[in-house]
Amino acid sequence: MLDRLSEKLKQILNKVREKGKISENDLKQSLKEIKLALLEADVHYKVVKDFISKLEKLANQESLSKTLTPGQQIIKMTHTVLTEILGEKQSKIRFNEEGPTNILLIGLQGSGKTTTAAKLALQIKKMGYIPALIAADKIRPAAIEQLQIMGEKAGADVFAGGVNQPVLNTIHEAQQWAKEHKRDVLIIDTAGRLHIDSELIQELKDIKNAIPIHETLLVLDALMGQDALRMADDFNKKIGVDGFILTKLDGDARGGVSLSIRSMTGKPIKFTGVGEKIIDLEPFYPDRMSSRILGMGDTLTLIEKIEASYEAGELQDISKKEFREQFNLNDFYQQLKKIKEIGSLESIFNLLPGQFSGSLKHLKQNTDNEEKTLNKVEAIIGSMTNKERLEPGIINGSRRRRIAKGSGTSVNEVNRLLNQFSAMKKILKQQSSKKSLIPFMR
Amino acid sequence: MLFSDAINDKGVFLEKIEELLILSDIGPNTTAEILERFQSINLHLFRVNDFNHFKELLKQMLHELIPPQVDTSKIDPGMLNIVLIMGVNGTGKTSFAGKLAYYYKSKGYDSLLVPADTFRAGAIEQLHYLSKEAGVEFLRAAPGSDPASVVFDGIQSARAKKKVLLIVDTAGRLHTYHNLMRELAKIKRVILKNAPDALLCSTLVIDATTGQNGLFQASNFKESLGVSDITLTKLDGTAKGGIVLTIQKELSIPVSFIAFGEKITDMCRYNQDKFIETLLD
Repeated sequence: MLDRLSEKLKQILNKVREKGKISENDLKQSLKEIKLALLEADVHYKVVKDFISKLEKLANQESLSKTLTPGQQIIKMTHTVLTEILGEKQSKIRFNEEGPTNILLIGLQGSGKTTTAAKLALQIKKMGYIPALIAADKIRPAAIEQLQIMGEKAGADVFAGGVNQPVLNTIHEAQQWAKEHKRDVLIIDTAGRLHIDSELIQELKDIKNAIPIHETLLVLDALMGQDALRMADDFNKKIGVDGFILTKLDGDARGGVSLSIRSMTGKPIKFTGVGEKIIDLEPFYPDRMSSRILGMGDTLTLIEKIEASYEAGELQDISKKEFREQFNLNDFYQQLKKIKEIGSLESIFNLLPGQFSGSLKHLKQNTDNEEKTLNKVEAIIGSMTNKERLEPGIINGSRRRRIAKGSGTSVNEVNRLLNQFSAMKKILKQQSSKKSLIPFMR
Repeated sequence: MLFSDAINDKGVFLEKIEELLILSDIGPNTTAEILERFQSINLHLFRVNDFNHFKELLKQMLHELIPPQVDTSKIDPGMLNIVLIMGVNGTGKTSFAGKLAYYYKSKGYDSLLVPADTFRAGAIEQLHYLSKEAGVEFLRAAPGSDPASVVFDGIQSARAKKKVLLIVDTAGRLHTYHNLMRELAKIKRVILKNAPDALLCSTLVIDATTGQNGLFQASNFKESLGVSDITLTKLDGTAKGGIVLTIQKELSIPVSFIAFGEKITDMCRYNQDKFIETLLD
C-alpha cells in the first residue's frame, strides 16, 4: 500500500542519512524531494505544503543533537510530524451501551460501502455483538442483492424492506425489527452519492434526524487523488463524520489520502479494507501507518535503543583515537553481540554505513536467515585464538583452515569476514571526529 | 478568480499554477514540466493581471505537452465488434457497460451485454437491470461461473443473433493481483481464439477521483492485457480527472468516452479541448 511512498522516502532519507552534516542546500533538496514523494502519494496539496513548512520550522529550531546526525534528525522529524498528523492511538467503534448501536456507512459511488458493510459486520460479530445489515441503497440496481449475498458470507442478517419503499421507512422498520430480534448493532448501507448532491445529502440528514446514529463512517477509496480531501471535508461539514474506513489498500495505492483527511477533518481512520475476502478488514493503527510511510519505523526504535546503550556505556566510544586504531576482532565481536541484543540484524544492516552493511549483506545472501549469519560470524571469531583476534594479520592459510573447521564454516567465509573486518577498520581510521558508534552506524 | 489577485511576483504566480495543476490530479511530474516551461517565459512580457491570457498560455502548453491520442473506438457494422470493459473495483464499469449499450443502440448498433463479472455479488443482476433500461439483450450467467466461458457463450450467442456489438463487463480487479489479471488474459485469449475476425476494443475504465495510482493502473493493464482506450467516469463530481492527461502523455492511450451521472444517457465522447478547458476552470 504505502510501500511505494515508503520506498521513495527511504531513498530520499538514505541520501541524507549518509551525510554527517547537512547544509542548507541539502535540507532544501531533501524537503523538495519529500514534497514530491508526498504529492505522488496523493497527499493533498495544502497538506503537503503544511507538512513541509512544519518540517522546515522544526529543522531550523532543533539544535544539533549530540548523538544523532542531522540526517537522522530529519528522519526523526519527518516521523514526528507524520505521527502528529495521523494521530497517536487506534480509534475504535463507539458502541451504544444502552441499546442498539446504529452505524451509518456513507460515501461516493464505488468506494466499497456494501462490501465494507459486510466486512464490518463480521468484525463486530467477532467482538461479541449481534450485528445486522440494513439495506438503505435503493438506487443502485442490485445493491440489495449484493448486500444479501455479502451478509450471508459474514453470517449477519440483512434487513431490506421493499425496493420501492422510501429509505426512511426501511430504517424505522429496521429499528423495530432489531428490537424484536435482539440485534444490537445495525450497520446501515446507504447509496453511493456525491458530496455535492444536495438531494441525497438531505436524505442522509433525514436519516440522522430520524434515529440516533452512533457512528457515521465515511468509506473512502485509497486510490483517490486530490479530491478526497474536499469530498471528506464536505461530507463532514454537511453530515458530520465520526471516522473513516479506507478501502482498496491492498493495491499499490500510496494511500496519501489518509494523511490528507486526517489533517483536514481531525477525524480518525478506524478501519482499512485490504482485500477481496470477507475477513479483509483491519483496524487502522496510526503509529504503524506513519512508520510505514517512512519505511523506517524499526530504524527509529533502533536509533533510540542505540542512543540508550551508548549512554549506558555498553557501546564503545569510537571517538577515542586509541580505540579506533586498536580496533580488533574482539571489539568487533563485542559490539556485534551488543547490537544483536538491541535489534534484528536486518534493521542493523540498514543502520550500518554503506560499505560495511554491504559486505555483511553479501555474507547474508549465502545463508537463509539473518540469525544464521550472525551466528556464523560469532562462530568464526569464536574459533580464533585471542592473539588472532588482536592481530588478524597473522591469520595465514593454515590458521584459516583451522578456523573454518572449528567454526563449521568454509575458508571462503573466513576470508570474507577478514576482508570485511579490514575494510571496516579502514573506515574507522578515516573517521576523524566521530563521537560514537552511533553516528558511525548511519 | 484564481489569477485575479495576481501578482507581479513570479514565484507566487507559479505557485498558483502549481496548485491548480496538482489539484486536478495531473500529477507532480507533469506539473513540474509545465512549471519549467513557465520558468523560461519572461513574465514581464505579459500583462500579468490578465486572467484569460495566462489561461490561454497554460492551455496551449497542455496541448503541446499532451497531444490528444487518436481514438480508434469505432464500430464496424460489417463485423462483430467486441468491447471488453475492465478496470479496478468501483470505477463504474457496469454502469458504463449499460450506458455504452444505450449509446450505440441510439446510433443504430444493437448489442448483447455479457456479465463476465461473476464474482461481485449482485453484479449480474445489476447488468441485467441496465440491459433492460438500454433496451438490449442480456446473456444470462450463473454467479461464480467461469468468466471466460461466459464470454465464450456470449460470442456464440452474438453470432447466432447477428449482433453488431458484444459488450463484456468484467469484474473489478486491482492491477496488483496477478491471478486476477491472468483471469482477464484468459478472457482475452478466448475472444481472440473464438472471434479472430472481430474488432476488439479493450476499454479501461478509470474514475475521475483517481489520483496518481491511475498511471500504475493504466500501465499495468496495458502491459498485461493491452488497452485500446480509456473511459473516464464520475466527472459529475468535483474531481477533475487530470490523471488521464498524464496517462495519455506517458502511455499514449487515448480517452474515448467520459461518463458523468446516474442516468443511462450520462455519457459522451471525450473532447480534449473541452476537457482541458474544464480542468482549468
